[in-house]
Amino acid sequence: MDPARAAAGGEIPALPRLLPDYLRLCMNSVSREGDPMKKNTERFFPYGMTLPALFILLCLSLFPILYLLFYSFTDFRLLGKTHPSFIGFQNYARILRDPYFLQSLRNTVLFTVLAVLSETILGLLMALLINGVRFGAKVLRILVLLPTLLPGVTAALTWQLMLSNNYGVINKMLAALGAAPVNWLMETRTAFYAILFIDIWQFSPFAFLLLYAALQTVPESQYEAAQMDGAGSLQQFFYVTLPNIRPALLLTAMLRTIDTFRLFDKVNILTKGGPANSTATITQYIYLNGIRSLKIGYGGAASILMTVFVLALSFLYLARTFHKRKPAGF
Amino acid sequence: MRKRHRSILRGILIVLLLIWTLFPIYWMVSLSVRDQSELMGDKPFWPQSFSLSHFQELFEKSDFPRAVGNSLEVTLISTAAALLFGLMCAYVLARTRFHFRFRGPALVWSFLVRILPPIAFALPLYIMMNAADLLNTKIPVILAHILMNLPFVIWFMMVSFEGMPEEIEESARIDGASEGKIFWSIVLPVSAPGIAAVSILSFMTSWNEYLYGVIFVQRPQNFTIPISLSTFNSEQELTHWGALMAGGVVSMLPIVLFVIFTQRFLIQGLSGGAVKE
Amino acid sequence: MKKLTSILILAAMLLSVFSGCSNTGSVSSKAEAGAAAGESSSEKQQSSEAENTEPAKLTIIARGGSHVDVINAVKGKFEEENNCKIEVLGLESDELKQKIQLDAANQKGAYDLAMSDDPWMPEFADSKIFKDLSKMGYEGDSDFVEKCLDIGKVPYGTGDVYALPFAGNVQFFFYNKALLQQLKAEVPTDWASVLKIAKAAKASGKVGYVIRGQQGNPVVTDYLPILWAYGGDVFDKDWNVTVDSQAGKDSLNFYLELLKNGANYEKDDIVAAVKDGSAAMSLGWPSWYISSKGAAAAYAVIPGKKDSSSKEYPAAEIGNWMMGVTANSQNPELAMKLLIYLTSAEAQKAGADVGGVPTRTSVLTDPDLLKKYPYFKELLEGTKSSVVRPRTPKWSDVENAYGTELSNAVAGSKSVDQALADAKTAIEKIMK
Repeated sequence: MDPARAAAGGEIPALPRLLPDYLRLCMNSVSREGDPMKKNTERFFPYGMTLPALFILLCLSLFPILYLLFYSFTDFRLLGKTHPSFIGFQNYARILRDPYFLQSLRNTVLFTVLAVLSETILGLLMALLINGVRFGAKVLRILVLLPTLLPGVTAALTWQLMLSNNYGVINKMLAALGAAPVNWLMETRTAFYAILFIDIWQFSPFAFLLLYAALQTVPESQYEAAQMDGAGSLQQFFYVTLPNIRPALLLTAMLRTIDTFRLFDKVNILTKGGPANSTATITQYIYLNGIRSLKIGYGGAASILMTVFVLALSFLYLARTFHKRKPAGF
Repeated sequence: MRKRHRSILRGILIVLLLIWTLFPIYWMVSLSVRDQSELMGDKPFWPQSFSLSHFQELFEKSDFPRAVGNSLEVTLISTAAALLFGLMCAYVLARTRFHFRFRGPALVWSFLVRILPPIAFALPLYIMMNAADLLNTKIPVILAHILMNLPFVIWFMMVSFEGMPEEIEESARIDGASEGKIFWSIVLPVSAPGIAAVSILSFMTSWNEYLYGVIFVQRPQNFTIPISLSTFNSEQELTHWGALMAGGVVSMLPIVLFVIFTQRFLIQGLSGGAVKE
Repeated sequence: MKKLTSILILAAMLLSVFSGCSNTGSVSSKAEAGAAAGESSSEKQQSSEAENTEPAKLTIIARGGSHVDVINAVKGKFEEENNCKIEVLGLESDELKQKIQLDAANQKGAYDLAMSDDPWMPEFADSKIFKDLSKMGYEGDSDFVEKCLDIGKVPYGTGDVYALPFAGNVQFFFYNKALLQQLKAEVPTDWASVLKIAKAAKASGKVGYVIRGQQGNPVVTDYLPILWAYGGDVFDKDWNVTVDSQAGKDSLNFYLELLKNGANYEKDDIVAAVKDGSAAMSLGWPSWYISSKGAAAAYAVIPGKKDSSSKEYPAAEIGNWMMGVTANSQNPELAMKLLIYLTSAEAQKAGADVGGVPTRTSVLTDPDLLKKYPYFKELLEGTKSSVVRPRTPKWSDVENAYGTELSNAVAGSKSVDQALADAKTAIEKIMK
């Protein structure tokens, strides 16, 4: 019985039993003659290793993607009384003409660009700072990670308390400095940036962790060589550190872009898209106009559009990734 | 001289960083131990009272302990699975010598899965789980979390593996080791920092995940922590700040423990000297 | 190996598509089929129930918080008498609605009783989520406050009963007694007086009137009573959109005047401010201000006229939580019995002590309860003269668009006329 199929079929209890066999199968691909360059071992290993992941991915994602794609061309409502009818690109046209959608698109793109830049740079600075610390690095690493570890609703609500217009602690500190209180989450000038700030606070540690791990892989020898050549620390950073962590840096930025584009929880809890739609995001649009009332046709179309936008934003990155690989042949 | 200046500067920056990072956390912890009367209206900076009533309320009234257990179960299983399968897959995708035929499609598809908004994705996934009659178990949530974390693990570890020079592996191959052995005994230990980072973040993503949890839950026994906490933030009642903050504090403990355990692997000791140039 | 992989990948794809499709095909006519199937299978169930003593299981999906507490407090007796186990799933409002709707598409419902916020009733009735209780033999109960029971009837007020009122709620006018005394003001009975008091409060350094101006549902529920007091409404009786009528414009301008002499807070801050006297007045739900520990601020019926000489309109916004039997419940007869029990006088009386709000006249006028919760008197009064939000299945979308434009007006990014005109366009598009 194929262990992968057992695993994907939801039979979790079977997995521990069959896993050792499966792994042994993968590992014992040394041929009888003891020549590891034998062709059939080459062939089995990569497929065996990737199969579970790809199987799960496909199983769980193919139907949903096809479903959304298919119904985005209809006016399907899950609890609709009539059968859905095919309406072609009407959903897409309506969405792209909707001023609320365009506003949320603008908000989301602006937010994503600002957030990703800030989080990546800040994460990098944090990683560099802590990397150079001699004592207490362990404790520091944990403390710095705490914002990311909080559950979303608690983090959002804690900030809501702090930013409250009525005795919120931030306003109180401002008052102590002599400045006027600000209604952070209810004024059009500040709500967007307040949410941006909370997001940066919450997810810079995410970037920090990935970049810190990447910093660990920069070979000491390169630093030593640079120092012997007389390079100062700034030069060491640009000529040794940066080139080595560039792939990780780009990937971190990419991951944050994907995740930030989906901003929803904070906005839904703190401002509900307001004031004056200034914090409305695309996911919120999809939710309010489609998914909430189970209008799968409309919601599906909006989701596909959103996916297309993210693909467009990440196109350069993807192209680079494939371009580098091409010579090696795939 | 310059070195001391640098240390002082570094120290100041670290203090500032800690203040910025920890102030809201202080606020959360501080509110969780204050008496209920102090939670309405003006909240002084330092706690004026001390009371564990919110923690009591959390553990006695609501089903929070069970939610913690559920979260642990769901997160540990899904993170372990995502890590295991993701690592294996990422290695093959990273090393071109395998001539893996489905490389391009695998990369694109996993990227696509990562991009799709969970909000829309959840509905057809619900339909599938419903058809498989799994909704009254925790299996749909576990599977959804694996689906969520797998692309992340694959992509980051792939980049991580690519950053590792292939010479070690090739010399091991020449010495007669099998691919599997190379993977488990050589490649994985060397990429420990990346694995540690990715496992912490996957754990955290799954632990705090709300959307899939709420869509698939059918019985109160299967609540995870974020869902349990969400009921304290109600539209038609006053927010239960005390319980929310206490819940946040309790929720952080398992992850912090996990981080403490995993972060020792964040230090790299092995790759630095492995390849002499 | 490559061949095997390809086969397995193909298998994965088929598995995925097949599992999803097998359920989708039966989605659209599910609710209707479920209603019919449920009734015939319940008879079979009743006969088999007499044979085995295995307790039946009933699942209630409810809004988390006090409602779950109330159900848990009273369910014990029913469980004993009817040999069943009752499970309560408590979720937040948005998720609650979504899960009820998702499950309604299944043939075998996972829930037997479901709660519904009063604005959702038209939408739920349209999607046939609840069972027709009248057809199941329910005969109505005059002890329910009429306006509460009316919400559960489809069409509103006249049709069959689909849901019973589980928790009562109607908006009040809240004020800080000490502050009003300080300003030597009487409790206002018209909105012009409210503005006068607000101005006086502002002059003395306090916040006059607090609005709840957050975009979406908050601002709409906060603003509607004022619109109604001015004689306006969202729709007229032919369902034309009238948000930009003269009454609409005047009331929104007035709302902004109140904001000028007050502040824009979020719910918890509103209660805290009015309670400790830093703000004078606001509208609100009793569930915010009043608990078993007493009322945080003084309350009165919402003023129904714009100034002392104009016509008085009912302006109190009702917001009950209803409960009904799901159309695809697997145990509808028992579920209906439980529903009747949960909304009975004795259950509501017991529930009042854990935060429940009754919907029956007898309970609201019960002398013991009145001693503990004197606000029941105003609640009954307010409910009798309350107004429901428009009964259209598209209310969620309408509220969304309306809330966005109101937020534009509150934030000042659009003029009142512009915001209301845009609201009208948006709502008309939705209602088409």
